[in-house]
Amino acid sequence: MASEGSVTTARQRVARQHKHPVNQLFHDEATLGERVADNAASGIGSWWFLAIQSVIIAIWIAINSVEFFTHKWDIYPFILLNLAFTIQAAFTGPVLLLSGNRLAQKDRLRLEHTAEVAEAAEKATLEILSEIERNTEATLKVLDHLKKRRAAKRGAQA
Amino acid sequence: MAQPSTQAPVSLSADHKARVVHRLRRVHREPGTDHKHPANQAHYEESTFGERLADRVAAVIGSWPFIIGQSVLMVVWVYFNVWAIFIHHWDPYPFILLNLVLSFQATYAGPIVLLAGNRQSQKDRITLEHAADESDKGEQHITKILIEIKKNTALTLQILRELEAEEG
Repeated sequence: MASEGSVTTARQRVARQHKHPVNQLFHDEATLGERVADNAASGIGSWWFLAIQSVIIAIWIAINSVEFFTHKWDIYPFILLNLAFTIQAAFTGPVLLLSGNRLAQKDRLRLEHTAEVAEAAEKATLEILSEIERNTEATLKVLDHLKKRRAAKRGAQA
Repeated sequence: MAQPSTQAPVSLSADHKARVVHRLRRVHREPGTDHKHPANQAHYEESTFGERLADRVAAVIGSWPFIIGQSVLMVVWVYFNVWAIFIHHWDPYPFILLNLVLSFQATYAGPIVLLAGNRQSQKDRITLEHAADESDKGEQHITKILIEIKKNTALTLQILRELEAEEG
């Protein structure tokens, strides 16, 4: 592989352990139904599925219209093929929504996580600010002390 | 003067991480309640009747019970119209009425998919607007910190000059 060594691409990392809590929760702790839903959506939404479907349609139409083949089960205008299409569409819709619902849920979880992280970051930033303000105060006091000392020295010299 | 705190910053603590994951798990299991992110609150807790209906419909159609129920119904339909003995076959092979029914379902499923998608993209918009607000706030904080550090540096330089004057 080209990226052998210390560099891991995001794609390679996905196959391994998840780091983001939402990914951990969403993928590593998915129930059976959720995993099947993810696989169904990625199965239907792939070039393999489209290619195989196209091949089956072509064979179906060829056998039922070319005279060379003797066993015909769905002659022109292919009413059964129409039913097959409809069945596919009738299942694709719900699977699409299934996968969409799952993505919406992930989005919801990600935002919740973002809110938590943002809150922590803001707290840290404000802590830094107050720490620096304290530092300024202390430095100011040091300066005052120095000035007083110098004034006293000058008074003693004079 | 108070001792400087030796605590690690909040964002680094393992305890905090565990709390985040715990909260996420809870929100994961009980959707629709107690959201922290403003975009989630706007999307789920302040939705209108039509929006809630759209969410409900999408949740019902996009669920395993619906898909399994539809499959069972299709098998029963075909069974009754091919092999049933005591029942009038209302839709014999090649099941034209079943075709119509399923087409009807697909006709509605398409717009409902878009409805759900529109809802998601609306949420995305709200999310980005909120992110812009947050980023403004963060920038303000950083500017404040920078000003404070500059003040601090100026003071330290003054001390340095004071010390140099004292020595020489």
